[in-house]
Amino acid sequence: MGTPVEVVDDNGVSTNTTAIESAMSYHELNAMINLWDKDGKMQLDKDKLAARRYFLDHVNQNTVFFHSLKERLDYLVENEYYEKSVLDQYRFEFIEELEKLAYSKKFRFDAFMGAYKFYTGYALKTFDGARYLERFEDRVVMVALALAEGDEGIACSLVEEIISGRFQPATPTFLNCGKKQRGEFVSCFLLRIEDNMESISRGINSALQLSKRGGGVALSLSNVREYGAPIKKIEGQSSGIIPVMKLLEDAFSYANQLGARQGAGAVYLNAHHPDILRFLDTKRENADEKIRIKTLSIGVVIPDITMHLAKDNEDMYLFSPYDVEKVYGIPFGDISVTEKYQEMVDDPRIRKSKIKARTLFERIAELQFESGYPYIMYEDTVNNANPIAGRINMSNLCSEILQVNTPTTYNADLSYNEIGKDISCNLGSLNIAMVMDGPDFGKTIETSIRALTAVSDQSDIESVRSISDGNHKSHAIGLGQMNLHGYLAREKVHYGSEVALDFTNMYFYTVLFHALKASNKLAIERKSHFVGFENSKYASGEFFDKYIDQVWAPETEKTKELFTRSNIAIPTQADWVELKASVQKYGIYNQNLQAVPPTGSISYINNSTSSIHPIASRIEIRKEGKLGRVYYPAPFLSDETWEYYDDAYEVGPEKIIDTYAVATQHVDQGLSLTLFFKDTDTTRDVNRSQIYAWRKGIKTIYYIRIRQQALTGTEVDSCVSCML
Amino acid sequence: MNTRLAITRPVNWNKIEDPVDLDVWNRLTQNFWLPEKVPISNDIQSWETLRPFEQKLTMHVFTGLTMLDTIQGTVGAMSLMPDARTQHEEAVITNIAFMESVHAKSYSSVFSTLCLTTDIDEAFRWSEDNPNLQKKAEIVLNYYHGSDPLKRKVASTLLESFLFYSGFYLPMYWSSRAKLTNTADLIRLIIRDEAIHGYYIGYKFQQAYNEAAPEVQSEIKSYTYELLLELYENELKYTADLYDEIGLTADVKKFLHYNANKALMNLGFDPLFPKDECEVNPAILAALSPNADENHDFFSGSGSSYVIGKHESTTDDDWDF
Repeated sequence: MGTPVEVVDDNGVSTNTTAIESAMSYHELNAMINLWDKDGKMQLDKDKLAARRYFLDHVNQNTVFFHSLKERLDYLVENEYYEKSVLDQYRFEFIEELEKLAYSKKFRFDAFMGAYKFYTGYALKTFDGARYLERFEDRVVMVALALAEGDEGIACSLVEEIISGRFQPATPTFLNCGKKQRGEFVSCFLLRIEDNMESISRGINSALQLSKRGGGVALSLSNVREYGAPIKKIEGQSSGIIPVMKLLEDAFSYANQLGARQGAGAVYLNAHHPDILRFLDTKRENADEKIRIKTLSIGVVIPDITMHLAKDNEDMYLFSPYDVEKVYGIPFGDISVTEKYQEMVDDPRIRKSKIKARTLFERIAELQFESGYPYIMYEDTVNNANPIAGRINMSNLCSEILQVNTPTTYNADLSYNEIGKDISCNLGSLNIAMVMDGPDFGKTIETSIRALTAVSDQSDIESVRSISDGNHKSHAIGLGQMNLHGYLAREKVHYGSEVALDFTNMYFYTVLFHALKASNKLAIERKSHFVGFENSKYASGEFFDKYIDQVWAPETEKTKELFTRSNIAIPTQADWVELKASVQKYGIYNQNLQAVPPTGSISYINNSTSSIHPIASRIEIRKEGKLGRVYYPAPFLSDETWEYYDDAYEVGPEKIIDTYAVATQHVDQGLSLTLFFKDTDTTRDVNRSQIYAWRKGIKTIYYIRIRQQALTGTEVDSCVSCML
Repeated sequence: MNTRLAITRPVNWNKIEDPVDLDVWNRLTQNFWLPEKVPISNDIQSWETLRPFEQKLTMHVFTGLTMLDTIQGTVGAMSLMPDARTQHEEAVITNIAFMESVHAKSYSSVFSTLCLTTDIDEAFRWSEDNPNLQKKAEIVLNYYHGSDPLKRKVASTLLESFLFYSGFYLPMYWSSRAKLTNTADLIRLIIRDEAIHGYYIGYKFQQAYNEAAPEVQSEIKSYTYELLLELYENELKYTADLYDEIGLTADVKKFLHYNANKALMNLGFDPLFPKDECEVNPAILAALSPNADENHDFFSGSGSSYVIGKHESTTDDDWDF
């Protein structure tokens, strides 16, 4: 790293800056993009000015200066900021070249939000938190060095992919790589809880340990016996799942990742668990403090049978997990309720209660209005699409991870009897616009798959054995996507239009092909595949049927043109035949390959729209604990693209579901799907969207967001985000 | 007492005399919230990063706000009751009064989460001893106890739309600096309510005002400006008491002008302060938007955007698959 570089160029910076503006801090300038100017025009240039001021007034003045790269690296290693072993894998000259390569790309933050977010949340700081020790380029280089594991070629490719904005590792990876004092690289954990005290307490312990290391943790409560169930055959003893939720909530708020972010957790419950209504009521506005759950997220696992019972407006039976496990010998969560429903209804040994199926859905919708929760996982859709042997009974904090698990059993002294398989997943996302602009689609994906696999290889969560065992066996990763709306708007395509759906379909189709190919290549190189490959639909070849028996090609001229212009070949049936043969012969290295996360923070740094959602607003008001309120203009927003930036509330749930549906068919795990409603909508509108989503083969639904417009006469005049 | 209401009649919501009553009622009930909704405890870490005088300032601001909400909940809103033009208005006023009490209580929940009892006691003592805060209360209370219904409405609108904002400034300022963001969420919920209250009382004022004789109108109008100026003079001193130390007095002053004009607008009168004296700090202005449109991160807060949804059952057609 040489002398501190002037980081923001003068392009786009307004020249008619008034005296007041130059006295304004970057916060004020940033806020001005949410206000119309005197002539009623957007003030997008103010955001560029804010970014510039941020560097001039804050970053540059608070960055530690080093005379040379050598001096810098020596200092950072000696003072235990950087991990020596990461740097030792490389020649110093190479690291120098890599830094040069990174700086030669002239990276600039397009939005104030991106710069602010990066320096607030990601850049390495002195231990007292006062000064910066890294610029964006330095962070990218450290991430590349850490993930390339000594391979110079891969390190160069990674720097290229990340600095060009095509590939962006998820927060834990991007934040922690190469640092000596750090959390884990893995974002996300999923744990089973079984119906015994050992498992419950282990679950809480694991929640603490995993939060401390930086992940979001989801736990399945479906197996835990209900309120009033017997304990040691004495009736009416169990207090059900609510107290377990309370314990978990407290555990999560206690643990945080070196203060970097608060622990976050979710719990999932099967819709046919007897405590289901109590579970939902914990999110009520007027719930009693003893049962109210504020910060723990909740999700409901809904099997197909529930949908059918609601369709026929029938009662739905809720089954005691305690009895079900006694009768079937396996936990409630591992049973397909759809398959065994009638059998369990007819079995007198299983205690049951009933509610109206539609009441459940109405209750869910009411709570979604009040709190945004619960998430939904359509259990049978998920399992039907799962190529891996075993059962999926839960999802994670962002509802995009969908993997199989098995139970862990404990001895009387709380040691492990049999270690089951729990789930972890590390994520990284591609910026669709940048990937389409990139020189080599296949290589971008291969490099990304390698980076994510390296994260899995380097992760070893010793404190939770079921997680580390599961990770070693499955090498599961989740390649995600973002900036779909940004790309479409830039290309003047409306979100959710025929062209947009066609493009999304072909894009995800092509990504799948290259992701599988890369994982197959890894298996060939390493002469190893994930444990259980033999029993998967990849090994049987069944997975490939839909790509070999049918032609997948663009249906619209525009989509064809977009792919042709980007020089991206769309895989043919012959390509699939070839890939199938290679996969059947050598296997694939990763049990799971794709998962589309909601991409909060990283999409700001990457100047993307989140995930494959429509934008929440042309000028998004982002509020976070660490940031306060920051205003983020949609990427590529200009007078010309304005009309292609309908926000999610204007786009409406149906088009969002259609978009996710075409993507879902090519994604082995899930996609975080948020639905947006206006406050004039009713619970019925929400229910209808849930039914529509299920019919279209959507696997999970993440948050419901509600937008309320100010009563006419009470709005703040001149506010951009108030305008419809 | 309005003679029309002398006989006791049950309130009939199926016969709406003024659609604004129903509109506002719906909005207020939909906006119902309790302070327990907001995870204030997530602000504890952030609170500790404030310097001692900043903490003190924050507490003083909140006791001042508590005072105003106490007045509005117990005296202010109720004093509007006898002049209600419709029974539905009476219902809306009860809601306003109740929510004001919720607001008053929610400051306490901020206190009890973030501060020590000794500090809380000090802050409340300060509110009792600060002459400008006491004067502010005295002026408003005086008019609430007065006999003129139009003047009561003016006082009430000025309180809802003007007097609160010297206090609201600070949490908005903190949140733009990434401090106390959950507390700011709570305050934004309060602002969301106050914006409607000010608008509604102002609207009812305009109805009565337009029916009044010209000489009454001109008296009320000059009274309004006089009262506003009286309050404004006092508010300047109060603002200086609070914000001099942190150096934000000038900025807050512009914000006062902006809101004074807004209050006048609610009453249907022309603005008093010229536009360039109302150039509010953009970070504050942009944070004020009562629209629930922010995209918050669920893991660090609950946001101020959720509402009680309208229930509607699904029909067989919806389940047609």
